[in-house]
Amino acid sequence: MSATVVEGRRASVDLSVPIFLILGLLLSVLVILPLFWIIWYSFTSDGGGGFTLANFAALVTDPTLVRAYAIAIGMAFAVGVLSCLVATPMAWLVARTDLPGRRFFRMLITASFVTPPFLGAIAYEILAAPNSGIVNVAFRSLFGLDSSTVLVNIYTFTGLVFAIACFTFPYVFTLVANALDKVPSDLEDASAILGGGAMTTLRKVTFPLVLPAMLAGTLIAILQSLTMFGSPAIIALPAGFHVITTKIWSLFQFPPRLGLAAAAAIPLLVITVMLLRAQKAILGRKGYTVLGGKSGTPRINTLGNWKWAAMAFVLTVLSLTIFLPYGAILKTAFTNTAGDPITWETLTLRHWRFVLFEFSATQLALRNTFLLGILTATIVTAIALVTAYLVTRRSIAGAGYLGVLATAPVAIPGIVLGVGLFLSYANPTFQLYGTLWILLIAFMTIELPAGYQQMSSSFAGVHPELEEAGRIMGASRLRTLWDITAPLLRTSVVAAWCFVFVGTIRELSATILLTTANTKLVSVIIYDLNESGDLGAICVLGILLLVASFAVVYIANRVPVLGGSQMNARG
Amino acid sequence: MSFLELAGLVKSYGAVTVVKGVDLSVEKGQLVCLLGPSGCGKTTTLRLIAGFVAASGGEIRVGGQVVSSAAGTVPPEGRNMSMIFQSYALWPHMTVFQNVAYGLKLRKMSSEQINKRVREILTVTQLLPLEGRYPGELSGGQQQRVSLARALVVKPEILLLDEPLSNLDANLREEMRFEIRRLHDEFRYTTVYVTHDQSEAMTTADVIVVMNDGRIEQAGSPEDIYARPESEFVARFIGGTNILSGKRISDDTVHCDGDFILNCGSGTLAPSGRAIVSVRHHDIEISENRRWETNTVSGRVVRQIYLGSHRDYLVSIPGGETVRALSPVDVRLPVGSEAWLHFPPNDCRALAR
Repeated sequence: MSATVVEGRRASVDLSVPIFLILGLLLSVLVILPLFWIIWYSFTSDGGGGFTLANFAALVTDPTLVRAYAIAIGMAFAVGVLSCLVATPMAWLVARTDLPGRRFFRMLITASFVTPPFLGAIAYEILAAPNSGIVNVAFRSLFGLDSSTVLVNIYTFTGLVFAIACFTFPYVFTLVANALDKVPSDLEDASAILGGGAMTTLRKVTFPLVLPAMLAGTLIAILQSLTMFGSPAIIALPAGFHVITTKIWSLFQFPPRLGLAAAAAIPLLVITVMLLRAQKAILGRKGYTVLGGKSGTPRINTLGNWKWAAMAFVLTVLSLTIFLPYGAILKTAFTNTAGDPITWETLTLRHWRFVLFEFSATQLALRNTFLLGILTATIVTAIALVTAYLVTRRSIAGAGYLGVLATAPVAIPGIVLGVGLFLSYANPTFQLYGTLWILLIAFMTIELPAGYQQMSSSFAGVHPELEEAGRIMGASRLRTLWDITAPLLRTSVVAAWCFVFVGTIRELSATILLTTANTKLVSVIIYDLNESGDLGAICVLGILLLVASFAVVYIANRVPVLGGSQMNARG
Repeated sequence: MSFLELAGLVKSYGAVTVVKGVDLSVEKGQLVCLLGPSGCGKTTTLRLIAGFVAASGGEIRVGGQVVSSAAGTVPPEGRNMSMIFQSYALWPHMTVFQNVAYGLKLRKMSSEQINKRVREILTVTQLLPLEGRYPGELSGGQQQRVSLARALVVKPEILLLDEPLSNLDANLREEMRFEIRRLHDEFRYTTVYVTHDQSEAMTTADVIVVMNDGRIEQAGSPEDIYARPESEFVARFIGGTNILSGKRISDDTVHCDGDFILNCGSGTLAPSGRAIVSVRHHDIEISENRRWETNTVSGRVVRQIYLGSHRDYLVSIPGGETVRALSPVDVRLPVGSEAWLHFPPNDCRALAR
């Protein structure tokens, strides 16, 4: 029998191999290069440049470093515990009781993800600084006390923990509330039918089922606060102590001690990796968190007379985390000084005039911020899209490696990446320091995991048979991607883009090490203005950032061409 | 020369070989069922035919031309086949009409022609009133029919079905079996159908190909497969059976473990090793006393169930075997009593493996 290949067989050019190689190279450079230079510099003497172990020795012997680490770890755990203690009852009340307005509360907390933590810290500076803080001023005038009386002082360790926890508790809240949504009611009914009362069922069935989500959320809160730069810099520095991120930053001040900074960054990297592994281990226990969602709607508990106590609790938390800070920011943006009472005389637009027209740095910073936000969001979404396609469809051997690379930066804290990128690109070879490029690289690296995770989960949601159906009906691979995959992914792509954009325009931890006078961003300007005490201008900039974030999310959700999907909470 | 031919087809993933040399010829217009337990390689074989996976060895030929071999694979879009997927794979962003029209659009037909062809097939599948709906607004059975319409409208050379009925509930499944057979009789496409459900295969197929562990166990008409199984696997998998074994005496005679002789009316025993015989449940006769001279043995009733149309007996015989037999309802033997079983020689099938 003559066996010949069918005529007209398409010798299509397979682009997947070159794309795979280019992506692999790009991701390797993005991820591996900064880590390599951190390790290299950590063994390099700051004095002569030779090999040394002195930097690592200093980690143990230098009391300022040891203290900074101790305080940072203590702070992070305190934040984690506080977030969990506040968020878990909130999540239960909102997800599983008949609390009035629970949908609105939930939406509000989800929306509060958009608040940059450093802005929250500044809001609390306005509210609770020992002398000028609104709360203290109001307290003194209410009871006619003199200016030495201080009710609350944010410039303390406790104040720092409180201010950070206000903005990390949504992480725990969202995870726990989602987990509570997924606990099928028949599991609880099974307990009830066997004689378990409401409290017993809650304690023995519901609680253990959401425990992994609680732990995972708490670990995220710990991780967030440990690697955070903005809030500690705003609150801890005036209070006279360092956490590790601010300590690393201070090592970059003149005279720079890059080797020591690199060595100091390594334990932070290790702790982050360990925390993430712990989180993965907790969430990865099969059959424990993979909660079937088919068993009907979750059971809603009736609060009865407890309703008012619950309401008071929820409103107190929301006041502290949302209403008061936002109120303070708004008030400061429109009055002369933060402590003024609100009357027609004190209302002013002078901060807006100053920020928008008089202060020379603003326009450049706004332009830089939005340019970088748009560029980063577009590039990251594109890379994430192609990577997720190659990984989930396994169309090429070794594609899984790309997924690992794209996820890896999640374990690199912003400040560590800042150190690594500074060491990699601020040298005579690249000379990228002082350009927007180095910031673009930083943002791409930081945002890649979030973008990739979004895209890969949405690819996983598109059944491969949908694409295969296109192929067997006669469409080429590209045509199938265009006709079938792309329309199905459109809303996820838009969501991922927004996600990255919002994340980028609020970034400070890596930016603070990489920015110069020519490449200022809004977040950096806010930080600079804080040093000079110009709170009114800060609040105006903060409002601009928030408005931009909400506008982007809103547009993405409303414009039909873009798909109109729900924006996921930032995780 | 057959229209679709698989010759020595092999597929390996690393060290694991899932299709281990499959040879199969399908005539034009035939409906062939690949039947087997999960993991037997039937779905992989189908995906090899579709071109979704590349062959590690052997060839697939369509109309005498190689479409898959270790040297290369014609991509699925170049094969003029169509397929019905287990998940139906209806595109959720397209209406019923758009789903069905997609394949015709790719074939660059004029919109009048497309309209005409789509309407025709929607009429045949009774979907015309639903043409403007999205898949999410259809019931399971309707989705299944859209999937059928979409596959048939392009007039494929070969139609592939991958467990098409496994997501339907029992009633609908039965109905769709006949529907698929009806549409096949109407259009006579060469069809390869993968299923693990033997009654589905019996109702729809011209040829049943029983697969096991990456190989073809037996291929033949539904009657061949049921009445003349060649291996213990096929006999057990199709229809359920009793397997009796013992020492081989001649080509068709076995000295069974319970110390009785079985004469087989058909089949051939393996030339050496243990001899095995298959007797279907409903072919066995059962009585309280000995009424037969040969092919008979006595045992004890272990279980008896009244099922309206017949009685279902479980009888343990010497040698440790338990035999299941179906009898008319008027044969009443209480549990624990002695029972004589008769294996009519014509219903004893000697198996070679």
